[in-house]
Amino acid sequence: MTRRLAVVVSAAALVVGLASGCAVPNRRAADGPILKAAATQAQVTDIYANYREVRNAAVELLDPKPLSTVETGAVLAVDTGAFAVSQKLRRAGQEDTGPIDVARVETPRFGKYPLWLFAVVRDSNRKVQQLQIFERTSAVDPWLLVATPEALTSTKIPGIRHDGSGHAMTVKPTSGTGMAMSAQEAADAYARVLTDASALTDAGVAEDAFIRQMREIAASNAALDGVTFAQTWAAEKVEHVLRTSDGGALAFITLLRKDEYVVPLDRKITWPAGSPQQALLEDGIQGTKGNLNYYHQIVVHIPGGTAKPRTIGQFGGVVQGEIGLDQAVDDDSLKPTPTPTRPTPTPTTK
Amino acid sequence: MLRTIAGWALTVLGLLCALLGLSMAVVLGPDGRRTTGPHTVDVDSSVLVTAPRVITWGDVKVDVLVEVPAKKPVFIGLGNTVDVENLVANVQRTEVTKFETPWKPTLKAHDGEQPTVRGAPTALDWWIADSAGLGGASISTTLPDEPTSIAVVAIGASSLSGLKVTLAYGIAGGFFKGLGLAFVGAGLFLGGRILRRGESPLEEGDLRGNDEDDEEVVYVYVDDDGVEHVLTEDEIDDAQFEVIVEDEDEDEDEDEDEPEPEPEPRYVWIDDDGVEHEMTQAELDELGDDVEIVDDEQEGDRS
Repeated sequence: MTRRLAVVVSAAALVVGLASGCAVPNRRAADGPILKAAATQAQVTDIYANYREVRNAAVELLDPKPLSTVETGAVLAVDTGAFAVSQKLRRAGQEDTGPIDVARVETPRFGKYPLWLFAVVRDSNRKVQQLQIFERTSAVDPWLLVATPEALTSTKIPGIRHDGSGHAMTVKPTSGTGMAMSAQEAADAYARVLTDASALTDAGVAEDAFIRQMREIAASNAALDGVTFAQTWAAEKVEHVLRTSDGGALAFITLLRKDEYVVPLDRKITWPAGSPQQALLEDGIQGTKGNLNYYHQIVVHIPGGTAKPRTIGQFGGVVQGEIGLDQAVDDDSLKPTPTPTRPTPTPTTK
Repeated sequence: MLRTIAGWALTVLGLLCALLGLSMAVVLGPDGRRTTGPHTVDVDSSVLVTAPRVITWGDVKVDVLVEVPAKKPVFIGLGNTVDVENLVANVQRTEVTKFETPWKPTLKAHDGEQPTVRGAPTALDWWIADSAGLGGASISTTLPDEPTSIAVVAIGASSLSGLKVTLAYGIAGGFFKGLGLAFVGAGLFLGGRILRRGESPLEEGDLRGNDEDDEEVVYVYVDDDGVEHVLTEDEIDDAQFEVIVEDEDEDEDEDEDEPEPEPEPRYVWIDDDGVEHEMTQAELDELGDDVEIVDDEQEGDRS
């Protein structure tokens, strides 16, 4: 009897002890890294709920001002332009009231601000998936959408590599270790190839759908009778790069495109009615020089190894139009105006 | 030998666990924590913050109460060190650069371009725990498994002069965890004792549910006349009887033998000449009521 009691007591003691011993105090290494995951799942939910609420309010009011509390950079410039065009044309936008389908969220860990996260949002109506980057530049600033390139739902997004804690790993934009080139080099290569088609052989990037589409637009503009057309591209500083599971990188690149038209007095170029270009340059261009500036955001997959970078998603729009000026394109001088382009309307000459 | 060593090891370990658990329960008390304060902290600035790596513990329950005189508005928050450091960067502040329990903080003043933090700390969404109030504020939380810092901020134009801090720290449910550990120790102690004695904790009898300690042994002496006498163990030893073990189960088995099936009745017809003819049940059924059945045994009994 005593022995049986002892066995029962021992077993019960171990069970109770183990159960009560869960979550015992523990001390971290004094020299351990100080890191923070960009956001929790609950915070991501709040970020998207707030984004939609503000965006819908802006759509309802046909006023882009509230967008500055949830967007910044090229995204804000393009969206603000779209709202301005809608205002001009008195065309109400579409409120987004369906469920937010955030298919994937990756939250890297950072030792200091800015923090950013990557999310894939499915838009089943348009059959696209948006590859979005939300960024928080300081502890007192809100989360802002800084990149939102789009890809077809059928496009396979490369897997992201995770660290030991299960968070996405990032890559320094200037690091090309294990890849054909760094993200910044890829951005510069795209700008070079888009400006000068002959640079493709040396640039080290693949001639993908984005490059072909931009070349077609440039070719149709250059074919305008009697008009001198020039197009230049510049890459902005790359800031958001994720490590992919193949040892490569997924880079978010912003490109600035400048289309310049020199039109003689006996010619006039105009854009289709209702297009953002027409909203910007209502009277067209005649007997002078005119510029249209665009922002394009692309997501480039730089595979591990020696394979060439390739664009898997894009987003963009015209953000500024000017006539008779010859000023250099400067980020600070960009006063956003019209609309997401895709495709870019082709001007006609008379 | 090995079993004895293991037994002793378990016993000692059990004893240590039991002592540790009991000490923990006694030191922490029923609320599972130790309290210190209120302590006056000499702060001239409007921000007091713990430096990175001062809070190194995780899964420790902490309660911090800060009080300022004249009902000045004050805020206290616990956040990830990355957030807190960014919040107080370039802010004039007092940093707790070292802290030893129960209460021995080392303070260092830091210059900064701004007199206080940007914006209202209450509006930030990344605090793990935070509170604000007039004249005092408190937080009660369990330190997460990530680098954390505590910030105390005087809201508005006031400073934190006259600040008093009361700190309580411990383990959530520490009292019961201590008791649990003591219980584990007791179990290990008993387990070690069993191992030392060389007994198997579970024997076949235990598994069957028969406890040999519970078995009652009865010694019976059958004399020449066949009369049974119940004897004690001592009487057996004194008389040096030979003990024959008679398993009770065997008797039960014998008793429980299936009864023999009843023999089928045998029908015999005696004709007029007195000759006996054996009949089957079917033949008898054919004759029906024409035949009278007489039970031989009953007739015999009557005679």
